[in-house]
Amino acid sequence: MPGDSNQARLAEILYQCTFELLTELGARPERNAGVRQPPPTGESIAAFSGFCNSELRGSFTLEGPSKLFARLHPIPPTMTPRDLTDWACEMVNQSVGRFRNRLLAYGVSLVTSLPQSALGEKMLLSSSLRPSPTPISFAIDKMVLDGWLELEIQAGFRLVENPSDQAGAALTEGSIVIF
Amino acid sequence: MSKKSVLIVDDSLTVRQQVSLTLASAGYQIVEASDGREGVDALRTHAEVAMVLCDLNMPRMNGIEFLETIRGDATGLPVPVVMLTTDGSPELIARAKRAGAKGWIVKPFQADLLVAAVRRIVGDPG
Repeated sequence: MPGDSNQARLAEILYQCTFELLTELGARPERNAGVRQPPPTGESIAAFSGFCNSELRGSFTLEGPSKLFARLHPIPPTMTPRDLTDWACEMVNQSVGRFRNRLLAYGVSLVTSLPQSALGEKMLLSSSLRPSPTPISFAIDKMVLDGWLELEIQAGFRLVENPSDQAGAALTEGSIVIF
Repeated sequence: MSKKSVLIVDDSLTVRQQVSLTLASAGYQIVEASDGREGVDALRTHAEVAMVLCDLNMPRMNGIEFLETIRGDATGLPVPVVMLTTDGSPELIARAKRAGAKGWIVKPFQADLLVAAVRRIVGDPG
């Protein structure tokens, strides 16, 4: 189905964006293609950000053990729950931000929501959306960072085959422009 | 003489900490605000602020609204504002420029480049 193809391609773009972010944070992420893991024991954090335009809407959720978010935190000595949940929000914000920037080159413009996060034990994500969310999962230092992409795509939406490198493409991460 | 101050307006505690550590280690003083409204208040109460780094997507008052508010206020009129955001959209960058922004940084930032940009705009910390 065309919708499935769109969803798979959008998921792959988001996977690459998240992979880049994790790599820049000093991790060596590997694609975790296995079956979804049972809820991790111990404290977990989930953070998500929504996005939409007139043709598609969805959200991206990152969920993993607190100690994994601590491992990826850019200021290691800070480990309070507030620090970690805030950092989880910023991680998902930066991942979805890259996704939004990449899609501009496909002529797709998204508005994103403020990220939200939650901390708990034996956290189990579920979705009411059909089709089911696309898993985007990473193995990092023997821990698992699970990602879930939820999408609702309007009939008729089609992601163009190739991104454009012409005007309209976004500034890349780390860019600085002084006017 | 006191050192130059940079106001950081961002709802992310982590980003405020990162920017604060980076600029403080370069010798600048830091003032923090967690959204645009707090940023407006901070500008009114901290006359020493020489420059603002401002996020775009924030609760209560976003970065563009912050810009438009302070550009209509004599207190904030002359202070250079650089947007610090995950968004790299040319359309938004043009809008921020029209609203009076001095620059645009796409997160995550590189520490040395951030310091260089701040130094280019406000000079050495003093």
